[in-house]
Amino acid sequence: MLKLEGVDAKYDSFKALDGVSLEIDAGELVVLLGANGAGKTTLFNTISGLMKPAAGRITIDGKDVTGRKPSALVQAGVVQCPEGRKLFPGMSVLKNLRLGGYVHRRDRAGMNRTLEHILAMFPILEEKKDQPAGSLSGGQQQMVAVGRALMGRPKLLMLDEPSLGLAPLVVKQVFETVQSINAEGTTVLLAEQNAYAALKIANRAYVIENGKLVMQGDREEMLGNEAVRKAYIGA
Amino acid sequence: MDLFLQQVLNGLTLGSIYGLVALGLTLVYGILHVPNFAHGALYMVGAYVCYFTMSDLGLNYWVAIAAAAVVVAALSVICERLVFHPLRHAPPIHDKIAAIGILLFLEAVVQMYWGADFRRIASPYNQILDIGGLTLPAQRLLIIVGAFSLMGALHLYLKKTMTGATIVAMAQNREGAFLVGIDANRVAMMTFAIAGALAAVAAGLFAPINLVYPAMGHLVLLKAFVIIILGGMGSIPGAIIGGLIIGFSEALGGFYLSSTYKDVIAFVLLVVILSIKPTGLFTKGVR
Ligand SMILES: Nc1ncnc2c1ncn2[C@@H]1O[C@H](COP(=O)(O)OP(=O)(O)OP(=O)(O)O)[C@@H](O)[C@H]1O
Ligand SMILES: [Mg+2]
Repeated sequence: MLKLEGVDAKYDSFKALDGVSLEIDAGELVVLLGANGAGKTTLFNTISGLMKPAAGRITIDGKDVTGRKPSALVQAGVVQCPEGRKLFPGMSVLKNLRLGGYVHRRDRAGMNRTLEHILAMFPILEEKKDQPAGSLSGGQQQMVAVGRALMGRPKLLMLDEPSLGLAPLVVKQVFETVQSINAEGTTVLLAEQNAYAALKIANRAYVIENGKLVMQGDREEMLGNEAVRKAYIGA
Repeated sequence: MDLFLQQVLNGLTLGSIYGLVALGLTLVYGILHVPNFAHGALYMVGAYVCYFTMSDLGLNYWVAIAAAAVVVAALSVICERLVFHPLRHAPPIHDKIAAIGILLFLEAVVQMYWGADFRRIASPYNQILDIGGLTLPAQRLLIIVGAFSLMGALHLYLKKTMTGATIVAMAQNREGAFLVGIDANRVAMMTFAIAGALAAVAAGLFAPINLVYPAMGHLVLLKAFVIIILGGMGSIPGAIIGGLIIGFSEALGGFYLSSTYKDVIAFVLLVVILSIKPTGLFTKGVR
């Protein structure tokens, strides 16, 4: 469903992505592993259209979307739940979620159904729905961020380190949620440093280092790989 | 007491005009993140369009205000497309310089076509109302009612509609807005159009009790800046309340202290408030 061929991305003259090629099939849950500064966020932002690739090609279901605007990508079904959440802090939780469905704004009934589904998934948000998103705890804000992304009814959901800064119990909950979203049919690309937990729910994984994809394999291969264990699992 | 209430009414008139101008400025600030110095020139053009729609085309005051709103909204969008949009990746200083450029350009064009004469729009409502011993010229009542209805309408638009929410979303988190699929261009154009229309209506409402001339936007713009700095850059309630604070202090100060110095009062207030609360009155911790 998503295919990158030789994608480069630059911050001025610094090449943050170097010839990245990857492919994700519909229904998969793929993990992107990489240390701090490896280029995970850059890769996500390039796919989302926040950054224009300096070279290469990006296609979705065979359609070329290279260099398209972020709004066009959301329309095409690629939605990112970004690092740092990027919520609208002064707006209520409900408003944040509704804005997540901005591209479906003409389909009110559909939007309300998705909203109900999300509130059922995160009951705490139902309770807090009229509070400003900025007043919630980190874990709750992460739920709003995931919920907001789901409101876009993504075909491909990209999650950039959703467990960052959360308590272990909440992290577990986040991974369970990601797994159930995938089980419901959404393709997921998940960037994580929490490699063990991420790999456990993944079909496949890529490893990124200094802007280059250096390794890929399915769950068992990755979990069994000496280098991966050393670098990302620490065992 | 009556004299005091009279000044309160005057303050309300001034404050509602300043509030309208400041609202546009603060909305654009939320999108552009730089102060739009050209906003005062848009206000001035609004007054001229209003004046000539009435004097040359012989149309009614309300039609003239509507025409001014439409023309200035379009002009504001043109400024966004032609000047600010191409500069979106440039350092902020470029936007500021460009905004001053627009200001000078519009003033020069107006002066070239219509000269530097002072003009006056005749109010269609010359009645003086008597409210419990207070005299209120109908035009002033019109200003107060008109300005506050417009603020109310804007509030509803921003709070209750999806398109209105995109403007607020963009101001609160730009990348977040992109990631839900909000189109930056659409929001920018919409914001500039609204800001332009607000400035034009403010000018049209105010013109019958004021003068129309090419530099008429300067002082209003400076005060609008004071207001949004007071109220917190980008804050909408801040712009309205800040407008009222400046309006009241100008009316009361001008009456009880010195009318010669009434224009200085806003700036004195700015210095005082910023030394007590440097972030402005309405900035919350979240942004
Ligand atoms: N705005 C920027 N300007 C310049 N360089 C940047 C910018 N953002 C990221 N970089 C650089 O690009 C490289 C990749 O950064 P990126 O944020 O994509 O890493 P990451 O894998 O997401 O890291 P983390 O796990 O810390 O989030 C890093 O070397 C970083 O310093
Ligand atoms: Mg990152």
